[in-house]
Amino acid sequence: MAQAGKDKKPKDDKKPEAPAEEPRPVTVAFDVMGGDHGPEEVIRGAAQLTLETPHIHALLVGDRDVIDKALENIRHNAERVAVHHAKDWVSMTEKPAAALDEKQDASVLVAARLVAAGEAEALVSSGNTGAGVLSCARSFKLIPNVRRAALATVYPTQSTHGTREDPFSLILDVGATVDASADDLVAVAVMGTAYARIISKNPQPTVALLSNGTEAQKGPPRVVEANAKLSKMSSLKFIGNVEGVDIPKGTADVIVCDGFVGNVCLKMLEGVSETVVELAKYAYKEKLLWRAGLAMLSSGIERIKEVTDWEQYGGAPILGFDRVFIKAHGRSKAKAIFNAGKVAAKAANNNLAKAIQDALPQA
Amino acid sequence: MLTDRIDPLPPKRIYRWDLDKTYLRTEFDTLRQLVRTALQKASEKKAVPGAAALIRELKGPESRLCIVSGSPTQMRAVLIEKLKLDGVEFDELVLKDNVRNLLRGKFKALRGQVGYKLPVLLESRSRAPVEAEEVLFGDDAEADAFVYSLYADMVARRVDEPVVHQVLQAAEVYDDDVDRIMQRWREIPQADPVRRIFINLDRLTPPAYFGRYGPRVVPIFNYFQAALVLTADGHLSAPQALKVMVEMVQTAGYNLLTLSNSFQDLLRRGFPLGAVAAGFAEALQGPAQLFNAVRPVPDIITAFTKRLAALGTPPAPPPAKPVDYLSLLDDARPRTHKARKGRA
Repeated sequence: MAQAGKDKKPKDDKKPEAPAEEPRPVTVAFDVMGGDHGPEEVIRGAAQLTLETPHIHALLVGDRDVIDKALENIRHNAERVAVHHAKDWVSMTEKPAAALDEKQDASVLVAARLVAAGEAEALVSSGNTGAGVLSCARSFKLIPNVRRAALATVYPTQSTHGTREDPFSLILDVGATVDASADDLVAVAVMGTAYARIISKNPQPTVALLSNGTEAQKGPPRVVEANAKLSKMSSLKFIGNVEGVDIPKGTADVIVCDGFVGNVCLKMLEGVSETVVELAKYAYKEKLLWRAGLAMLSSGIERIKEVTDWEQYGGAPILGFDRVFIKAHGRSKAKAIFNAGKVAAKAANNNLAKAIQDALPQA
Repeated sequence: MLTDRIDPLPPKRIYRWDLDKTYLRTEFDTLRQLVRTALQKASEKKAVPGAAALIRELKGPESRLCIVSGSPTQMRAVLIEKLKLDGVEFDELVLKDNVRNLLRGKFKALRGQVGYKLPVLLESRSRAPVEAEEVLFGDDAEADAFVYSLYADMVARRVDEPVVHQVLQAAEVYDDDVDRIMQRWREIPQADPVRRIFINLDRLTPPAYFGRYGPRVVPIFNYFQAALVLTADGHLSAPQALKVMVEMVQTAGYNLLTLSNSFQDLLRRGFPLGAVAAGFAEALQGPAQLFNAVRPVPDIITAFTKRLAALGTPPAPPPAKPVDYLSLLDDARPRTHKARKGRA
């Protein structure tokens, strides 16, 4: 039977003509239930994908009644949507392991199982991160020579990266593996490089280790050892160690650290951003002159906000599994889910897991 | 021994089709598209995937194909040629005489749907046997769901005369057309012939939009869905519906995913299609050469079965309810392109 997608459907409101060539059809499973804004935002994002990206099929996993009620009022292409009923879900406040033990039909776990079974090729969830990672760990396999998965995230930077000139660098691991060995850090570097190559279209991304000094011997033993190993890997463009200050500067395309350090860094960077916004609000209220100054800068601030909008990027990948998992932010609205779906499809279409496996040093 | 009684023929069936955006993939939202459509040769016109196959399978000696389209009468020859190219045999083809409307200064009639289609439908009905069932096909670009539903309820006398008058007034129908409509309506014997109204979602209007017209109106994303429902309704056999599917696979790149998703979409909207799927399984076991195109059979059956199982308990069909035409008057008014887009 023909495997090409059906004639193209509209970006706007028409069933379009078939293009000359299109990417391979990909099915992305969406955990519909977990996000802060409820199922409708996830469904809206997935529905938009079926309208704008003819090669992406959405598999919506969650409470069927909820999905159907939302979907019938949202513009979508039903030819590219399937629903899989899952009666339970894991809330943001639940403990992942206990929740998944108790709820075998939790939407994120069912979605991960469907991906593992080949019903979809990638998973997107905006729900409980721990439950997402654990669902993958229970359903997917780790890539050979990867001991532990890594959670990656993007951070807005001063300089741009890759041919797409993304104003983001990739930081990983930011929380999946608290206690990483030198080999784990090397694997993380390889995984981050493969991801940047595929998603940012950056053929030779620069990679750096996060440490307390740029010298190779700086840092704890595992970082020093990882530095030595990475320096010998010709397949990576390793530029040595960088310091915390280099993250927002965008000195490297991929910054590697263990989950403990990465998470602390990430939270600190988020805190700084929030503080800057609060200070600006304070300044706006405090003095007319400051208010005028901020008003004059408003178009520039808007532009910065636009280019660094995390919703554009969609989500953070969990790397190291043989299947694709994109963790969208809990606060994700339809736009972020839409972009997360696109990233997931791109990673699946470019066989991210194989790219990582091929690049890893053989044990 | 032969009996001396000849069983009456089964009730005749009438299939009424719109052309643009229902049978043909037509674009005329801009002046350029309108000109291009007008100048297209028959061989350049494209049918919506599966539409020609569906008509061919529906059309039998006991059924009639009646086409009523808003295309201008000047396009008659090219449209007839296109239908012939597709192997579609029709019994009636009514096109819109907009030159006449212009010459008579009936400018509102140029865009109006209700004042054009309703009298044509009623006149055609007046020539049909009382017992003839009808299935209607339209699209979501204009007022087809409204006009077809109103027509069905007028024939069934489920709508009152004052309501019809209010509707015609809201639809800016000229007085002579109102008189024509009312006269025809009075002449037609009461019956309840309209079984289904299929609305091709050319603009991908959310299906719930048509919920106000009740379960008789079935929004469809493709003609495989129409074939499934018509198989469940007894208008098509499983092999006939499979021929529609085959045409869509062969000419428009439909595949297991799009077909099984289309199947599941109907299940989620409360259509009980379990028996249809079983009929498909049986039909596909046969040696028919045609179905080689959609083999391997186990994949198709598995795909449909998975989509069925994925839903848990299937939902109940939506309940039938009277249509409140006065609350739907916006759908009856001549619509600009902007307004059409706004709805979607």
